[in-house]
Amino acid sequence: MTMTATRPAATRVRQGATPRRHGTRWALYALLAVMSLLTLGPFIAMVIVALSPRGEPTVPVQWPDSLTFDNIMQVLNASGFVEWTLNSLIYSAVSVVIILLTASMAGYAFAKKRFPGRDTMLWTFLATMMVPFQATLIPLYVLVSDFGGADTFWGLIVPTLANSQAVFLMRQFILGLPDELFDAAKVDGASELRVYWTIVVPLTKPILATLGVFVFLWHWNDFLWPLVISQSDATRTLTVGLTVLKTEELQWSMLMSSAAISAVPCLLVFFLLQRYLVNSIAMTGLK
Amino acid sequence: MRHRLRDPVTGLLFVLPMLVLFLIFRIFPTLGAAGMSLTNWNIGGEWSFIGADNYTRLVNDPNFWSSLRATMVYTVIYVPLVMAVSLGTALLLNSIVFLRGLFRGMLFLPYVTSFVFAGIIWRWIYEFDGLINGVLAKLDLGPVAFMERAELVLPALALVSCWKGFGYSMLILLAGLKAIPGSYLEAAKVDGAGPWQRFRGITLPLLKPALFFVLVIETIASFQVFDTIYVMTGGGPAKASYTLIYGIFERGFRFWEFGYAATWGMVLFAVVLVVSLIQRRFVGKENT
Repeated sequence: MTMTATRPAATRVRQGATPRRHGTRWALYALLAVMSLLTLGPFIAMVIVALSPRGEPTVPVQWPDSLTFDNIMQVLNASGFVEWTLNSLIYSAVSVVIILLTASMAGYAFAKKRFPGRDTMLWTFLATMMVPFQATLIPLYVLVSDFGGADTFWGLIVPTLANSQAVFLMRQFILGLPDELFDAAKVDGASELRVYWTIVVPLTKPILATLGVFVFLWHWNDFLWPLVISQSDATRTLTVGLTVLKTEELQWSMLMSSAAISAVPCLLVFFLLQRYLVNSIAMTGLK
Repeated sequence: MRHRLRDPVTGLLFVLPMLVLFLIFRIFPTLGAAGMSLTNWNIGGEWSFIGADNYTRLVNDPNFWSSLRATMVYTVIYVPLVMAVSLGTALLLNSIVFLRGLFRGMLFLPYVTSFVFAGIIWRWIYEFDGLINGVLAKLDLGPVAFMERAELVLPALALVSCWKGFGYSMLILLAGLKAIPGSYLEAAKVDGAGPWQRFRGITLPLLKPALFFVLVIETIASFQVFDTIYVMTGGGPAKASYTLIYGIFERGFRFWEFGYAATWGMVLFAVVLVVSLIQRRFVGKENT
């Protein structure tokens, strides 16, 4: 994770403000419009296919004579779909809450506390970021399933909570908080839990919100771990469920409807928090 | 300062929950992967120590070499593609003011979706009667079987990953571009440097740290490609898209050879480690 510094908005140089020929300006916008169309095209095509009556030709993309919600309704009524969605919600929401809590606690301790082994621990946390999750997939699966975690919610959720990136982000942010705040609270006789809850948590709210959004997206979109650990509809998440749908003989209109529904929470998060998400990536390098 | 020294226990207590999660679910499996790769561990949980046999088997396994090759070819296609697209769009966004936020948002949109989602949409786009072939048919051009032709499948998959992921690199590069003082570019302009000269002489050197960061994360990401392959090709056709991670998955969860699958995992670990170490070396130099 790198800290890519952005210049404050006030000193930002508006390079576009330098005089330029109109032709160049139009060319830039035309290029951007083409790029945006290529980026949005698949979404638009998906929505059209999802809303078209079945059997109606949709290729190449043409607006159908009539739109229908039949496909969407049928997907929602299909066995498993609602259950998978709920499972994804549980997987994401529980992970967000626990990671925010544990990572901010650890981040606070790493930033503002001294205890034996602190730097070794921090260094180890950092080092594990270099180990790809997939390289440890097999032992992790054996470990979790040996403890009866296969096809359970704890088996799905708990192993994904060890998130070093979250710890580092919190530590970096809390390092920047002034020591005097914590000293003053201590002089006033506040307990450590109280300091954490009344100083650390409120002051880290912006970064907690950012991290929360990212953890939600990571878990909602996660695939490989749910694929190996969930074996039935009871714990199957939406991403895994979609690939189960794929294998059955399904019409594209149905599959597109399922895909569209699965993306709704991500797109909602995006539309509500776009500016926020975008700025936080630039500033913190959160992936 | 005083209370911190006086109170080593609370620090440990606050780290404890994450530390426990870490030891059990990160450190232990990491060591376990190395250990397991030296055994013939299978689904029943029975195992015996077989030394380097898995590694010998690996170097003699044509599947492994073809998967390594597929992974490398994919990386060689994907990384330049995503670098070019993210740098190009970042430069475009950096040179406009009006509607910048809107364009940035539209270009970034696919990033928030999942690779499974991207895989499903693009499978339809590449289908025999899908979007691209529909357009080709209008132009009286023959259909192309993107997912069935060995030489087309990796570029087609790289395009999907690029579509889904370039927004992230674009934002990192855009932040890097914004950090370049405009006065440098103005001064060069006054000295008569054209746009290309300004780009080569000022923008590119100052953007180098951001470009390098993006290069490394995208290289690592390309070694970890899996979701789209699982959804779109299943490793085919004729193992043309059978990558390292697909190998780990299939060895582990189709043939249930955990020991041998762990050996494949060690290769992935080694490759990613080398890339990360190169990054550390170069970024270290940049900062001094």
